[in-house]
Amino acid sequence: MSTIIENLKQFWFFTGFANATWQNLAMIAIGIVFITIAIKKGWEPLLLVPIGFGMIIGNIPMFPGLNIGVYEDGSVLNTLYQGVKQGWYPPLIFLGIGAMTDFSALISQPRLLLIGAAAQTGIFGAYLLALLLGFDPNQAGAIGIIGGADGPTAIFLSSKLAPDLMGAIAVSAYSYMALVPVIQRPIMLALTTKKERLIRMPAPRQVSQKEKIIFPVVGFLLTAFIVPSGLPLLGMLFFGNLLKESGVTKRLAETARGPLIDVVTTLIGLTVGASTQADKFLSGNSLKIFLLGLLSFVIATTVGVLFVKFWNLFLKGDRKINPLIGNAGVSAVPDSARVSEIVGREFDPDNHLLMHAMGPNVAGVIGSAVAAGILLGFLG
Amino acid sequence: MMRQSRIFILAAVSFLATLSAGAQNLTDLLIGEVLVENTDGLTDGYGHRNGWIELFNTSNGTVKFGGCYLSDDKSDLRKYHIPTSDRSAQLGPRQSVVFYASGDASHGTFHTNFKLRRGSTVYLVSNDGRTIIDQVEIPSDLPADHSVVRVPYGVKEMDFKTEINPTPTPGSYNGDVDAKTKSQIMKEQDPHGWVLTLIAVIVVFSALLILAFIFGWIGDFNKRSQESSRKPRKEKKARVARGGLTPEIAAAISMALSQEFGGEVYAAIAMALDDYLSGGVHDLESMVITIKPSTSGNWADKTQNFRQLPR
Repeated sequence: MSTIIENLKQFWFFTGFANATWQNLAMIAIGIVFITIAIKKGWEPLLLVPIGFGMIIGNIPMFPGLNIGVYEDGSVLNTLYQGVKQGWYPPLIFLGIGAMTDFSALISQPRLLLIGAAAQTGIFGAYLLALLLGFDPNQAGAIGIIGGADGPTAIFLSSKLAPDLMGAIAVSAYSYMALVPVIQRPIMLALTTKKERLIRMPAPRQVSQKEKIIFPVVGFLLTAFIVPSGLPLLGMLFFGNLLKESGVTKRLAETARGPLIDVVTTLIGLTVGASTQADKFLSGNSLKIFLLGLLSFVIATTVGVLFVKFWNLFLKGDRKINPLIGNAGVSAVPDSARVSEIVGREFDPDNHLLMHAMGPNVAGVIGSAVAAGILLGFLG
Repeated sequence: MMRQSRIFILAAVSFLATLSAGAQNLTDLLIGEVLVENTDGLTDGYGHRNGWIELFNTSNGTVKFGGCYLSDDKSDLRKYHIPTSDRSAQLGPRQSVVFYASGDASHGTFHTNFKLRRGSTVYLVSNDGRTIIDQVEIPSDLPADHSVVRVPYGVKEMDFKTEINPTPTPGSYNGDVDAKTKSQIMKEQDPHGWVLTLIAVIVVFSALLILAFIFGWIGDFNKRSQESSRKPRKEKKARVARGGLTPEIAAAISMALSQEFGGEVYAAIAMALDDYLSGGVHDLESMVITIKPSTSGNWADKTQNFRQLPR
């Protein structure tokens, strides 16, 4: 009898109940909140469900040394986490993004690329502010990339520059991407006049298949030669797009934008969620990161809209650009372009800005990958 | 309501963010330096001179090593268990820690229960008690007060070579102490970040500006070539006519069908025929009728992948 009791006692010490801390329970509760909101509200479910469940997995209290935790070598979770730590997942996601992105809007109006470039100032604004708050340059670079509004890029760069901050940066980036409509709309309204919001832009010209095929090849060669450190992201992005546009690799393109990106999105969400373990970290820095992330989105949107207004000073007639597409340089595809469309139609129901806004939107993807390459080159 | 839920999740995420950061793997650890006979070097908290083992974190993240093992016996890799309960059992980025090989673990977490011997091998073992993370062989002729040291080298000082060091450096960086990371260099040269920001903004703008110019030219060229290709298109029409299908016949067919099916079908067929006769390439785009047959081989045909039924 005493042997049974002794063994039961020993078993008890291995259970989660015996090892639980309030931090574990708090993190599990947040994970459940994420899942609930994703299911009930349909709010970013593809990200919030894996991240939320990952938080629950990563914060199950356990006796250390069982070799099952995300940070324990050789465990299943640790093996899956290597894709985040070593930076495999983000380029694979970029492959899928490339295979699902239609760059026609950009190719037909290449001048809109510059709006995508202007919005990248959010990255560098946050970088400057992070330095001001006392972060080291590598940490500041990793925090700044939140302003790129690109989850995979943020994970990729922070895993290289500041792995300790990756959890906070990834969660911050994904959260603000989902909050784009809330953040951007008031800024757009505050910075534009009613007359500017009514500007109509001519329909973009039709783009030939040949141009669509040339774009990924030339785009890759140019950007990769300028910023070789952005090679993993840029290479995969343009390669995925070539698969889509070549017309002869339909199956590969469908796999890249379908099953492959789904698998990788599941794994990246799950493992990033699991890596946010309460017992691993309690840091005031994380609050600062969250604040800086918000500011980076605000700066990016503001500069994007103001850049278009400034540019309009030199444009005439139907060459003028509706400043409501300035926000779309923030590369949260396609959310920020959708915000341009919705806000534009509030003032003129027949003025469809979506196709115009998609130009700077996809330019923002390229711009943020280039910016990540620059930061990696200087600080990595 | 939607906005409220978003603000709610923002609050939840901000709370989460206070708990967030990351940690790295045990495989980022290595044995940085080992000294066997210590006659005039480092003393422990009890005033004794022991041999010692230095662990070094090669990564840019924090590594917790509680639960790992140190050993000098391959048949007993779990010889000294580093307590998991000790909160100090962790290393920050590129930091090191010294374990005294005093042979008396009761002196604390950083005292092993074995002493070092020349000619033996020191093992750092993962928390599973089986996986050897790193090992260092101690030469049998290692002089007193000399250490076996792993010196970082290479472009980013991420490779290591083993040397005998007459001037041990327990707890200190084993490489060139003057070597700095790029981040440290930037911190000195550009403490406020303006230089990097300026360079980065110029590079991003330049890259996208060049891309914009190139595609502006390609677009213009494409438009011009489309205009100049109108003549060959007429030839094609003539060629098609020799095959029996002229635009007039196509229109007639479409009109006949429109009598039966209505205007939409007429419009669709007319568009498709026009596309065909003018050599259109709208083969894969949505909202465009495709009548051009696939030019790819049939290897991609799904029917080619079906298993043949056994006969």
